[in-house]
Amino acid sequence: MPGLDRNQSIRPHAPLGRVIVAIAGSLFAALLIVAWAPAWAQAEQQPREGPYFHIASSEPGIDRLPLKGTQVEVRIVGPIADVRVTQHYRNEGQRPIEATYVFPGSTGAAVHAMTVRLGERVLDAQIREKQRARLDYDAAKKEGKTAALLDQHRPNVFQMNVANILPGDDVAVELRYTELLLPAEGRYRFVYPTVVGPRYHVPGSEGGLSSFPATAHLPEGTPSTTAFDLHLRFASPLPVHDVVSSSHRIEVQAEDSPGAEVALAPADDGQIPANRDFILEYRLAGGATAGGLTLYPGRAGEDGYFLALIEPPRTIETVQINPREYIFVVDISGSMHGFPLDTAKTLLRHLIGGLRASDRFNVMLFAGSNRMLADASVPATHANAERAVAILDKIQAGGSTEIVPALERIAALPKTADLARTVVVITDGYVTVEERVFQLVRGNLGRANVFAFGIGSSVNRHLIEGIARAGQGEPFIVTRPEFAAREAERLRRMIEAPVLTSVRAHFEGLDVYDLEPARLDALPDVLGARPVALFGKWRGEPRGQLVLQGQTAQGDWQQVLPVTTPDPDAQALRLLWARRRIQQLGDEEALIGGNARRDAITALGLRHSLLTQYTSFIAVDQIVRKPQAALDLASVNHPLPLPQGVSNHAVGAAVPSTPEPAAWLALLVTLGLVGAGIAHVRRHR
Amino acid sequence: MTLASTVACRPVLVPALGWIALHAAALWPHGLWAARRLADGSDDPLGLAALAVLVVWLALAHPALRPVPRLGWLVAAAALTAAATATLFAAPPLPAALLAALALWAHLAAWLPDRAPRAALAGLAMLALPLVASLQFYVGYPLRAFTAQFSAWLLQALGFAAERSGAAMTVGGQLIIVDAPCSGVQLAWMGYFAACAVAAFARVPDAVLLRRVPLVGTIVLAGNVLRNTTLVALEARPQGLAPWAHEAIGLAALAVVSVLVIRVVAPHAQARPFTSGAAA
Repeated sequence: MPGLDRNQSIRPHAPLGRVIVAIAGSLFAALLIVAWAPAWAQAEQQPREGPYFHIASSEPGIDRLPLKGTQVEVRIVGPIADVRVTQHYRNEGQRPIEATYVFPGSTGAAVHAMTVRLGERVLDAQIREKQRARLDYDAAKKEGKTAALLDQHRPNVFQMNVANILPGDDVAVELRYTELLLPAEGRYRFVYPTVVGPRYHVPGSEGGLSSFPATAHLPEGTPSTTAFDLHLRFASPLPVHDVVSSSHRIEVQAEDSPGAEVALAPADDGQIPANRDFILEYRLAGGATAGGLTLYPGRAGEDGYFLALIEPPRTIETVQINPREYIFVVDISGSMHGFPLDTAKTLLRHLIGGLRASDRFNVMLFAGSNRMLADASVPATHANAERAVAILDKIQAGGSTEIVPALERIAALPKTADLARTVVVITDGYVTVEERVFQLVRGNLGRANVFAFGIGSSVNRHLIEGIARAGQGEPFIVTRPEFAAREAERLRRMIEAPVLTSVRAHFEGLDVYDLEPARLDALPDVLGARPVALFGKWRGEPRGQLVLQGQTAQGDWQQVLPVTTPDPDAQALRLLWARRRIQQLGDEEALIGGNARRDAITALGLRHSLLTQYTSFIAVDQIVRKPQAALDLASVNHPLPLPQGVSNHAVGAAVPSTPEPAAWLALLVTLGLVGAGIAHVRRHR
Repeated sequence: MTLASTVACRPVLVPALGWIALHAAALWPHGLWAARRLADGSDDPLGLAALAVLVVWLALAHPALRPVPRLGWLVAAAALTAAATATLFAAPPLPAALLAALALWAHLAAWLPDRAPRAALAGLAMLALPLVASLQFYVGYPLRAFTAQFSAWLLQALGFAAERSGAAMTVGGQLIIVDAPCSGVQLAWMGYFAACAVAAFARVPDAVLLRRVPLVGTIVLAGNVLRNTTLVALEARPQGLAPWAHEAIGLAALAVVSVLVIRVVAPHAQARPFTSGAAA
């Protein structure tokens, strides 16, 4: 071997050589650590599901708050609200961005149109099958075209993606929806949610029922970074009275007239709050409700649609009620910490306090686990009620929201003989397992009426309304403790004096089909003073009448609605029918499991241009504005404020850790010891 | 006339510290980046302490500097300066700033007398940079996992039901996370700072200090494991642990680590003062 003497022995390194070898070894180890550090992977990853806290990045040139404002225009004609929501995105950074914004919608919203304004150009969005829309969007994004994609994750949670917003761009995305407003006890309520509460989420399979988009949240107390405004106009057949909002300051013009207008007024801080549902309540003159039978003739070549709103009888007499068993299921998870739990405690005091001594009750508290206050239901005596309230007063909220095991345990509870059971679920609904909960309520709690109370300023109404629908009960929303007594009293009245039972309907002379609800001969009981709503299609001659029958405390009751001349302006009926049909198919799918109704829902969405769980709106600018923009595109997840009253516990509970001492203290100690060490060395030199 | 003596003509007009200051000024992009990192709150300003120690050392050692710089070190300083400048365009600012700090150190080394503690000064020059956040980012997780695993073993030996999962621990059913502020990066910075500062002022020979570097690392790791184990054991109690107790235990662990590091490094202090290279 050249250059190497076979007889030369390998000698140990000199001291300097050993040092060099040690340094080289250390550097190699450091390189290995750096190369495999999880930090590399972390840098490429963004949360894909569930809530997390928004972190203000110091990375220059990226506008991380691109949604500058949301403007809402509402027009209420009779019982139908037509809503136009405009989201303004502006990129004030130096890099092109893709903005993602998860936002809430009303549970009954039929989203039927989307338009994108990009400077002077207007792009009309198309409805597409969801996967197809996503592929088209990704392709446009890569090509450097501005594009917008609107997806539905839940009937009340949507996601807007806007790709290639170039620096200086102002993109306005406008979406329109229609909603049916049903009065309760003569009062109408219009709700516009502004914020998605942080959902407790256990990541599931991608695209599965349990998937939920990543939602960035601002910490507690940080106001929304987005300007919010809403303007509402009535075009009512009757004068509008008693227009009030329990959530926002409003200015009402032309009140007590059919054309009343409502505008939002700033709060004390000069801003219009965007961290809670906007709730507006009103009455029509004389306590009337916009009811009757409305027919739409349909578009050319298709059959017509109808909507029947039948006002139940007003007279409510308390009837002899058999003793009942009440099970209160109370959410004490982290998102209920503070104000929501205080509201829930106040509500429970009223609910338990309102029971009769012959009733029995029990309370389940659930978060990550669950526990019952008593092994079995106890009589609703004053002493037991006091004891339960005293225990509740000591409860602190925290932890996750395992609602499914809690309801499974309720379903397995042995029933007390001769006692009808009523289950009352009290929660903010911040979970992502809605379908599983509905399935459970339908399948296992069928022998009990299930009522759901949503607690908080911006609850998950999809869950609350869905539980009530599945459990043949009623939904309640309590936004403040002072409303607790009123809502508890409403529940008591409903149970003690249901308005209408054994409800059935039939048409005479009009050929109807595709009805919602499907069976008119067995309609759900009417518990509250709320109209019965029937949707369907009709064909042939518009003649005949609709007959609704039922039982009240006084005996048989019947109302007849004559068929009127079809109204060609009632196009909204087409959308509302399709929306109700999709909801029904979705309920069936939840019971069956999987995507059993996917094709039917997709077909309805595409035919009626409706946003559904399987169809999305997409708008693509055909002009390539920045070739290769995708290479420099920064993804921005626009943050949401926490709902009013919800604490940081909703996103993450504090877990103890073992931090090092404060840097300045540590430095002082080290400097002191170093100084002492040097002095010591010098003294002994 | 040799090249060295040609270069040696210049210092007559400009003193050694003047040349070093000029060199530092020429490396202003790196200094500006470091200043911004300190000002924007993205890193703890610990580097200022190392810089202050370096300045004090220079002020004290200034009379002993060589009148003529060593050419080899000057060439190294020039090469490192070029590398630092080139790195600015190809890598994140921190590696470039590290090269710049080493360039300045090499320049200083050219003026230093024989047996000057060059290795200690190199350590201080690097510690003067805003390093902690980057160290936390790149080596934080391995350190956390290491600390959690050894703490779990220690607690198991003491009879606790302790388990590690990633960088989190479950002790008696209580979840406790060993997150970034628990990694020991700050303790490591303090340990090496103490070693370099004592070595600089006590004039510990370079070879000795370099041989002690792994031992200092071991002391730091062991200290952090013990600190973490104590805190976890106390935190797992139903009543938890008060914040002041956290600080006190952390400072006690730091004091023990610092004393051990100083004892490891200081006994090798040189008895004799500097010898000027020019006079040699």
